Amino acid sequence: MRAIDIHTHPVFHHAGFTRPAVESFAAQARAQGVERMVSLGDVLAFGPLPTDAQIRHINNETARIMRWLPDTFIGFCALNPRLGERHVMGEMERCVGGLGFRGIKLEISNNARDACMKPVMRAAERWDVPLLQHTWSMTNIHMRHMHSDPEDTAALARRHPNVQVIMAHLTGCGYRGVLEAKGVDNLVVDTSGGFPENGILDYALEHLGADHIVYGSDLPIRETSVTLNRILGTPMSADERAKILYGNTRRILKL
Amino acid sequence: MLFDTNVHLGSWPFTLVPDLSATRLASHLRAHGIRRAVVSATAAILAPDPLPANRALLAAVRHIPALLPVPVVNPALANWREQLDIAEAGPLRAIKLFPNYHNYRLDSARFDPFFSEVKSRRLRLLISVRVEDERHRYFALRIKSVPAKTLISFLRRNPLLHPLVLGIGLPDLRVVAKKCENFSTDTSFVEWLGSLEDLTQVLPVRRILFGSHTPFFVTRASVAKLAATPLPARTAAAIGSGNAGRFFSL
Repeated sequence: MRAIDIHTHPVFHHAGFTRPAVESFAAQARAQGVERMVSLGDVLAFGPLPTDAQIRHINNETARIMRWLPDTFIGFCALNPRLGERHVMGEMERCVGGLGFRGIKLEISNNARDACMKPVMRAAERWDVPLLQHTWSMTNIHMRHMHSDPEDTAALARRHPNVQVIMAHLTGCGYRGVLEAKGVDNLVVDTSGGFPENGILDYALEHLGADHIVYGSDLPIRETSVTLNRILGTPMSADERAKILYGNTRRILKL
Repeated sequence: MLFDTNVHLGSWPFTLVPDLSATRLASHLRAHGIRRAVVSATAAILAPDPLPANRALLAAVRHIPALLPVPVVNPALANWREQLDIAEAGPLRAIKLFPNYHNYRLDSARFDPFFSEVKSRRLRLLISVRVEDERHRYFALRIKSVPAKTLISFLRRNPLLHPLVLGIGLPDLRVVAKKCENFSTDTSFVEWLGSLEDLTQVLPVRRILFGSHTPFFVTRASVAKLAATPLPARTAAAIGSGNAGRFFSL
């Protein structure tokens, strides 16, 4: 079994940023069969609206982790779309153009439908990198001005068909989220977020197909053993499993 | 082989998880290395009176020794003594409470006679503090998990009881464990990088019992948390079965 984890935070709320801690973080995942991990950065370290300097700090940490373990970690560039085009383009030039990052990570600075997303999507298209959008069902969490519901992330992907969008947190998106993602060719859903709830992955397989699902853990909030075995414990073919755990992410990241 | 303290039989209207018969549930658990499981009826959680669902559960597992039925009791109903009677007929002499679903405060003085009866009948007590992740469940189900402070207040009010608290997460456990020692817990909702290692720092190993929360959770995922732990094999075995055997005197 080969696996790439598309959703990890080796540094989380300022904890874990030492080489031994990062090596230990990587070792526990490798012990379970995870070959590579996408580091999304310590995206909530400074709250929902980080400044330009704080974003640079988050991305510098990611770059350093990539340098420490280049065969394991792939960096995604954290951005705050509310800071405008200059911030977005500058940080993308620095991180994707210069430091070898391979994607964009957006947290909860704004809703995915907001106009401030336009420069971000232009940047994703220009550098030809995927965008991973924090997403959770907003039915019970009334913070849609800063969080993105599956409906919002699916709308973003539809508006920008040339950008590969990754909708985070299958469990948090739920059954309704799966239906929002259905039929959007440039959208995949990652399996991270929440407890290993039964039924949702089966439903996603039925409605989205294995080509539109990628493995993600949300480490360290979750355990690799649990997140991987949630997939291994859900009925599917070997081919479907290989796509979800490895093949789709390899294709998306051009590895 | 594992002893699972947190399993449910029946369908749940807010998910699309298939409804397994008792025979298929036992076979599913066995395939994941679970030899014995404490099972309650999901229908009893939402029913106006849990008795019919409890009776159906007892009948369904009568010839399946791997499934150990535990009736769900609602002490806020006038027939709570009758509900307790059915527990005495089961193999475990245990009851399970869902305070949040049954709309009562666990620490209310109103239930002193009930818990006194539980103690005098020497019934083991299981308390479910959470069934689903509140953040993304069905919108009309506005039930909150049992708060840590209510649990603390209950445990202090009943120092001679030692319940098994099911479905509690690590943050709440840290709070409760600092104040009370008269409880054990299951592993189902404890998840973080290195969950079980962290959990053993919060509670003595003898008070940690394996729970898969099947079929709400993917059984293989819950089992993997224990199988992959770097804790010593003896500790993992105690969590996986020994502690439950002792708790239920089996």
